[in-house]
Amino acid sequence: MIRLENISKTYQTDKVETLALKDIHLHVQKGEFVSIMGPSGCGKSTLLNLIGLLDRPGTGAIKVAGTEVKSYRDKDVARLRNHTFGFIFQSFHLINDLRVIDNVELPLLYRSVSSSERRRMAKAALEKVGLGARMEHYPNQLSGGQQQRVAIARAMVGKPQVLLADEPTGNLDSQMGGEVMDHLLTLNKEGTTVVMVTHDERAAKRGSRIVRVFDGQLVA
Amino acid sequence: MFKNYLLTAYKVYMRRKLFTLINLLCITLTLVVLLVVTALLQNAFHPSGVEGKSDRFLQVIMFQAIMKDGNGSRTSPVGYKVIDKYLKPMKTAKLVSAVTQPDTVSVYQDDRVTELMMRRADAEYWQILDFKVLAGRVPTPDDVARGRFVAVLNESSAKKLFPDLAAVGQSLNVGGQPFEIIGVVEDVMHLNAYAEIWAPVTTYPSSEYKNQLFGEFTALILADSAADLPQIKAEVEQIATRIEFDDPNVWSHGYIWADSKLDFFARELIGSRNDADSGAGTLVVVLWVMALLFMLLPVLNLVNLNTGRIMERSAEIGVRKAFGASSSQLVGQLVIENMLLCLVGGVLGLLCTKAVLLWLEGSGLIPYLKVEINLAVFGYGLMITLVFGLLSGVIPAWKMSRLDPVYALKGVA
Repeated sequence: MIRLENISKTYQTDKVETLALKDIHLHVQKGEFVSIMGPSGCGKSTLLNLIGLLDRPGTGAIKVAGTEVKSYRDKDVARLRNHTFGFIFQSFHLINDLRVIDNVELPLLYRSVSSSERRRMAKAALEKVGLGARMEHYPNQLSGGQQQRVAIARAMVGKPQVLLADEPTGNLDSQMGGEVMDHLLTLNKEGTTVVMVTHDERAAKRGSRIVRVFDGQLVA
Repeated sequence: MFKNYLLTAYKVYMRRKLFTLINLLCITLTLVVLLVVTALLQNAFHPSGVEGKSDRFLQVIMFQAIMKDGNGSRTSPVGYKVIDKYLKPMKTAKLVSAVTQPDTVSVYQDDRVTELMMRRADAEYWQILDFKVLAGRVPTPDDVARGRFVAVLNESSAKKLFPDLAAVGQSLNVGGQPFEIIGVVEDVMHLNAYAEIWAPVTTYPSSEYKNQLFGEFTALILADSAADLPQIKAEVEQIATRIEFDDPNVWSHGYIWADSKLDFFARELIGSRNDADSGAGTLVVVLWVMALLFMLLPVLNLVNLNTGRIMERSAEIGVRKAFGASSSQLVGQLVIENMLLCLVGGVLGLLCTKAVLLWLEGSGLIPYLKVEINLAVFGYGLMITLVFGLLSGVIPAWKMSRLDPVYALKGVA
């Protein structure tokens, strides 16, 4: 499904050059639930961002469904992000000016989907995460757990092949975190590939495979 | 998608109400000043109303005579003799009229004295200008030829002098001369038409005006078509060389120019009285530069506010990119937001301009002023505002949209 070959990533500031990832080879198979673990600052979020095409590698190649992404134009990468990936962020990244239903509709805005169909799909996604009654609310009227469920609904509304979650339970208490994990596992069981960055060993073990990163490199 | 963009734009603008208000004020004020000035300029220079033929008539207003010793000159409005002897026989003109410049006269009624602005004109004057006659008639060639003491009032003066009566048929004592009112015309505020009372030129208390090269007259020269104006200008320039002075020992030669209204103002402001070039071209360039400089301030303000606003939304832009928005879609969204603000500012500008013009008309600062908003200028003004608004939004939007989503999400712009 996704193949990273010899990936390195360096961040350059005014005077300092920081190596975030080095010689990464990773293959995520279709239908897997891969948990990426490692200490803070080891490069796991950078790795997730590269998988989701939110960032560009310094060297190496990223292949999605066998095609190298490097050659893609902005429009093509945008289309790939829209159709292939769904993102869940630790800090939710909901748009506070928009209602919950409008936030969930967001990925569908960039597809040729009619507004009534968009509304229907967003409503179904919200009902799936148990927030059917909160559609007209604004994100800041919801609890952290509810906001993350909105983020999950937004990530899955377009039925992406891969869900990328960056510490989805990091800002939630254990009960809320457990509910979020349940939703991710359900989606995975339904065929969605999930790649999740987490600090939580217990949550990571609920996936099918754990990938560990240390000092920018994958470790066994 | 468009509805979502509009909704987001509304929310974004309502989030920072003060910034939005400043932004709107900038656009509105710019448009108001631009529209009011152009409305006044149009009223002055564009063929309209009573001077609807001004695109095919020229005026000779000033006469400059140069002394023989080269050390002095005299500049004054042209005298009747210049018009009658030299301009009326012109071959290239369709009609030539002589009319005095407006002068204050006292009108006596019983124990009341009213001051009015008066012009004395020949019969051609009423053919060249398109006065709207509200009652009665205007002087005929016969009235002028016979020196009949007939007068025409403008509407406001007629109401002022005869509040309870029809003005036509009434008598008036104007500066000691008895006049019969034969007509009432609509109030006008134009270079050659403005006055409150008009009488035949032949009603002058003395016929001395007929012998004067210097005086208080304006010549209006009507062409068959606008294409004939250059020939008329050339003929008038040539006529100036033939003017015979009463005292040829003192005066060597003189200058008169057949100018359009713009030429006349340009010549008065920046041009020369002894050069065919009135300086109108330079004046137009100066006005354009001033307009552009005037617009520069709100533009810079717009750029600044838009940049700040867009940078503030980097996380939202990052989210949109992460979920599939392309750079061009993001730029499109921000462009629509800017256009929305500019359009609201434009509508406000239009309404405020109308209010300012109504106030100007009613205030009496410029007597008998009637101005209309030039919708073409409104269109241009709005277009310029939109272009600047768009450019100021597009540049930071494009910069943000090119950023990899991960940086936008972190707010690193």
